[in-house]
Amino acid sequence: MNFLTVFARAVASMRYNKTRSFLTALGIIIGVTTIIAIVALLKGLDRTIDQEFSSLGTKTIYVQKMELEIGLRRHRNFEEISKRPDLTVEDAAAISELATVRAAVPYIPRNLGTLTRGIYEADECILAGIGEGGDLTGNWIISRGRFITRYDQQHRNMVCVIGSYVADNLFGRGEEPLNQTLEVDGRRYVVVGVLEEKGGSFGHPQDNQIFIPVETHLKYYSLPEGRASVFRGMRIEVLPEEEVPVETAVADVEELLRLRHGLRYYEDNDFGLNTQESMLSSLNTIRSVLWLVMVGVAGISLLVGGIGIMNIMLVSVAERTREIGIRKAVGASDVDITVQFLSEAVALASVGGVVGIVLGLAAGAFVSAITPLQAAAPWWTVVLGVGFSAAVGIIFGIYPARKASGLNPIDAIRYE
Amino acid sequence: MAERREAGVARAPVERVIELAGVSKVYDTGRVAVRALDDVDLRLEAGGYMAIMGPSGSGKSTLMHILGCLDTPTSGSYFLRGHEVSQYARKKLAQVRNREVGFVFQRFNLLPRLTAAENVELPLLYAGASAERRREVVADLLAKVGLSDRGHHRPNELSGGEVQRVAIARALANDPAIILADEPTGNLDSKSEEDLMQLLDSLNEKGKTLVVVTHEDSVARHAKRVITLHDGRVV
Ligand SMILES: Nc1ncnc2c1ncn2[C@@H]1O[C@H](COP(=O)(O)OP(=O)(O)OP(=O)(O)O)[C@@H](O)[C@H]1O
Ligand SMILES: [Mg+2]
Repeated sequence: MNFLTVFARAVASMRYNKTRSFLTALGIIIGVTTIIAIVALLKGLDRTIDQEFSSLGTKTIYVQKMELEIGLRRHRNFEEISKRPDLTVEDAAAISELATVRAAVPYIPRNLGTLTRGIYEADECILAGIGEGGDLTGNWIISRGRFITRYDQQHRNMVCVIGSYVADNLFGRGEEPLNQTLEVDGRRYVVVGVLEEKGGSFGHPQDNQIFIPVETHLKYYSLPEGRASVFRGMRIEVLPEEEVPVETAVADVEELLRLRHGLRYYEDNDFGLNTQESMLSSLNTIRSVLWLVMVGVAGISLLVGGIGIMNIMLVSVAERTREIGIRKAVGASDVDITVQFLSEAVALASVGGVVGIVLGLAAGAFVSAITPLQAAAPWWTVVLGVGFSAAVGIIFGIYPARKASGLNPIDAIRYE
Repeated sequence: MAERREAGVARAPVERVIELAGVSKVYDTGRVAVRALDDVDLRLEAGGYMAIMGPSGSGKSTLMHILGCLDTPTSGSYFLRGHEVSQYARKKLAQVRNREVGFVFQRFNLLPRLTAAENVELPLLYAGASAERRREVVADLLAKVGLSDRGHHRPNELSGGEVQRVAIARALANDPAIILADEPTGNLDSKSEEDLMQLLDSLNEKGKTLVVVTHEDSVARHAKRVITLHDGRVV
């Protein structure tokens, strides 16, 4: 009997008991659908994350109180971290003196909530103190006017540069914000620059910022203390010189800050140097955890599906004992019977696998259609799905098949 | 009509299709051991036609199953066309069932899911015959048993007599030398019984060796030789 005959017979037998075959295949369908859908989602997530990162400055080093790690690698003691020294404008100035550094810019954010200007209002605005070069480190493009300068900083000028969201919402259509005043917390700032739209990063809007000179910010607002200082305190955005590798600049900044903080050689850094690279690598830990979870979930559902197949095949063997006896009486060998039952198990699993692939791909397409996540399963998931389901068919079909083929012809025929 | 006892047979002459020497079958059911066959000697020449009679439980079916290689004797030797099949491995026995003997049961002969033609095709399939040859042989055999127009019927769409004729066609598929039929007419009326026996007679005339188990004298009459079993012994 060739492969096609065997398979055709298996399918025929499957169709003989449609409802049962469907219920049996359901386990596999769910398993394979899960695999394909999860792979599609993870791929979509990867793609989205890559896009988000490209909206940050690619070479920018973020000097913060804490090493940023996206992930759950270790428990962080925030009490400890909040006691670290705050980063200062002087730190930024010192860093910017480094030969490998092009710009080192202090940055302090402050949530304003809703800001109004006459009849206009804008939600969730951020008043950020920033230094000269913040447009470079933050990857901003200036639409009109100019950015904050060293001069603004030194003189604590009452000027601001606004994001596109602020410009669009606090000024009327066709109204030019440049040289107009914007009142924040009772103080008036002259708009000297308007930024181009940048879009969000990791769900955080960025165009809702009002940049003012960092010294002006420090004059009117105190730095956050305690735990708040960890995330909302001053950070320094460092852009390495062109041609200088990020790691070289990171090493220089680290050395300088250790010196300034008076750290001994055996003491750990009391600041974090966060780069896109370091965040990506910690993100990759999450990715691998997610992939592991996927393998686990898919493995369990395939296991359940496989047990379902084995169960039904065992019932089938018991039900068809007399059939097995008759087949043996007319010359079927043990191998023939094994092949027959195994092919039925594999056919069940494969059909389940194919249906699962279709459903999984559909689930990915559905998610892509209704969310911004570009969930698309790569071609190899199809191979994976077919391979897995066939393997499940073989693994869980072999025992019932061997049980069937091991029967004695006459015991099988006499079976009631 | 008991067979002459001939102990210590090492190798049977080839013209003897069947030779049993001291065959016993004991069913050990745990509490009691049933001696279904007790030291049976039996010989049948090529082209022979033998009926086996005897009361219920006397071991007729047990004997037939051993002859058909569906079961193995507890002790003793079974020579089929000169080969001691009681020593064969499972795979070899499957081949013997496939090519050397054709078996017809009293009931449940056919696979209910398959058509008559597919049932007849089974032994050919297991013999590895080509699709073309299978089609030819099946058509041939269905014609031979007078059921050319019933090939697509499933067993539940056939009469009892037709089912038995399909079973005979299937037994003939690989042209075996021996046909074994265990009460083939047990469920048939006298008309169908007579038709079926004529079919078997014609096979014997064409050279097949036949063994038929029956309770009916009307059936046994067709055979050239009748033996009777009693408590697992040939009497
Ligand atoms: N699998 C078995 N396990 C235990 N005992 C068995 C088994 N098969 C048959 N027997 C016993 O062996 C004896 C012979 O059985 P067998 O079926 O050969 O009788 P039989 O002559 O064919 O009877 P009948 O005319 O009713 O078909 C009986 O006593 C039966 O109970
Ligand atoms: Mg019987």
